[in-house]
Amino acid sequence: MNSPSAPLRRRWRTGPFWLALQLVLSGSLLLLFLLPIYALFTYAPPARIVSDAGNPAVQAALWLTFFASGIAVLAAVVFAIPLGYLLARHRFRGRAVVESLVALPVVVPHLLVGVGLFFLLIPGSPLYRFTTAIGFPVYDTIWGVVLVMVFVSAPYTVLAADLSFRAVDSRVLEAARSLGAGPAGAFLTVTFPLALRGIVAGLLLTWARAVSEIGGILILAYTVYPGGPYSGPVTSTLSVFVYNLFQAGDLVDAAAVSSVFLLIAFVLFFLVRLGERSGWVPWRRGDLLP
Amino acid sequence: MNEWTVEGLESQLDAFRLGPIDLTLAPGRVTAVLGSSGAGKTTLLRTLAGFLPARAGRIARDGVDLTDRPPEERSLGYVPQGLGLFPHRTVERNVSYPLDVRGRTDALARARELLDRFGLTPLARRYPARLSGGEMQRVALARALAAEPDLVLWDEPWQALDVEARFELGRVLEELREMGRVPVVVVTHDPSLAFAVADSFLVLRAGKPGVRGDAATLLAHPSDLFSARFVGYENVYDRATLAVGPPGSLPAWLAERSGTEGVAFARPTFTGGGASGRWEGTVRSARPTPDGFAITLRVEELAVAVKVAPSDSSRLPSVGARARFDIDERSLLALGPAAESPRKDP
Repeated sequence: MNSPSAPLRRRWRTGPFWLALQLVLSGSLLLLFLLPIYALFTYAPPARIVSDAGNPAVQAALWLTFFASGIAVLAAVVFAIPLGYLLARHRFRGRAVVESLVALPVVVPHLLVGVGLFFLLIPGSPLYRFTTAIGFPVYDTIWGVVLVMVFVSAPYTVLAADLSFRAVDSRVLEAARSLGAGPAGAFLTVTFPLALRGIVAGLLLTWARAVSEIGGILILAYTVYPGGPYSGPVTSTLSVFVYNLFQAGDLVDAAAVSSVFLLIAFVLFFLVRLGERSGWVPWRRGDLLP
Repeated sequence: MNEWTVEGLESQLDAFRLGPIDLTLAPGRVTAVLGSSGAGKTTLLRTLAGFLPARAGRIARDGVDLTDRPPEERSLGYVPQGLGLFPHRTVERNVSYPLDVRGRTDALARARELLDRFGLTPLARRYPARLSGGEMQRVALARALAAEPDLVLWDEPWQALDVEARFELGRVLEELREMGRVPVVVVTHDPSLAFAVADSFLVLRAGKPGVRGDAATLLAHPSDLFSARFVGYENVYDRATLAVGPPGSLPAWLAERSGTEGVAFARPTFTGGGASGRWEGTVRSARPTPDGFAITLRVEELAVAVKVAPSDSSRLPSVGARARFDIDERSLLALGPAAESPRKDP
């Protein structure tokens, strides 16, 4: 190839239709994402967004939401990654049943999750007495919020971990073993670091799903009282908080509080992506970055 | 001393059975395991490395039985197909890996020495995704040698290498042999490449061992049609194909000299378009090669590969012309399990 313009010209000749199609289709979707957000941001005056961000009641709801979702992500790390590994590396009877079970929480309408957990932990039931006795009462506590969040969000980490562990080239693993690493050493130095990028993507989805949960929380922990690791004022998760404002007809505050939350979430995601692009995050080492 | 003995080794991968394999691997010697796809080459290598259990037989180093030891306790430098470089580690961290996992404090310093020896120092901080095929090969070999293994196992070293990198790889293997400390086993489906580096050979066919020995043995005693084609004989004929020729024809002449499976001979020299030469055929193709022209002739129903020396290129026949050639009877190899080669001592 002597002239760099040659492939460019060829693409140009066959390209306009496909390029236009891509732009129209992806543009429509982005617009669908953008317009409701635009509507939210413009409904409340900027001054109200700022003042609501400083409001202690809003801050308490935000803190509870991020705190509880953080615990849910931690639970996913502890419980969902091992399950993903199990599914990726072992053939066993009933595997298909387990895989379907993992997918179920993603499909179940979220109100049903709350109803199901309610029946399971109905006051007076043995499990209710047990959880209360060991210091994890669920009704109207942060534990109830965390329980619902883990139920609906952990599957994303299980699925991501399963796929990521499967994707690790077994020959790379064999190289590690033959070069002197034992099974645990090879897992820690090769399998896990290589699967980490996929797992982190799963954890991000888990977190996103956890913070956005409302259905189950409405039933199990509509109002959250201090207790367990949460020592703040009586409040509710941000989703329930906004729902209450909306129900009460306080549309401006509902929009303003939503805007605060969206800004924080956007900044968080943006920082993660920025970190990945710059290549300093450990799970993208060695990638060919765009 | 580092001498490995493999006795009656058998293993199994799903329905595929390998063995029994006998091998002696001496330090500084390169053994090539040859065979077409699915012959069991990689299975053998993975069994030697300890990734597949041995169903029978024994693997020993200097008399110490290693058959049931896990891979990490066999002191190996194993280079799997596709090299198995760690994509998340830099070149120097790939090379230091065997020392890192052994907890050696001088891991990085020792890795840098190796990088220097393999001309990889400028690439030390790069990740494997940014390397060329030849560079990756060198990194893989440097890594395999970092912990001074007692055996180097290399699966398809030439895979996906360009001509330059192949040439370089030959030199690296040569150096490894000259060090004389460690036995090397390479697996390949390409005999011409194996002949360039290996001291001894083992041909595998459907999991069973075929010919074994040095290059001369392999070339002189292919035991069957497959091995004959495999080691590079261009004229290999099945006994059934030869049976059809009328008396006095080339097929009949070959059939008389055939073993139970067939007969093989190297490219005979073309004697020209004149009257000399016992056999005659029609030229089907002629193409230039480094050692002259390769000509294919049609004789009765047989295709015969013949060569024309470069000095004789003026006598190159045109396609469709008739041409004569001779076959040295001493160059014929009878093929078959019980076949006695007529060329015992050339």
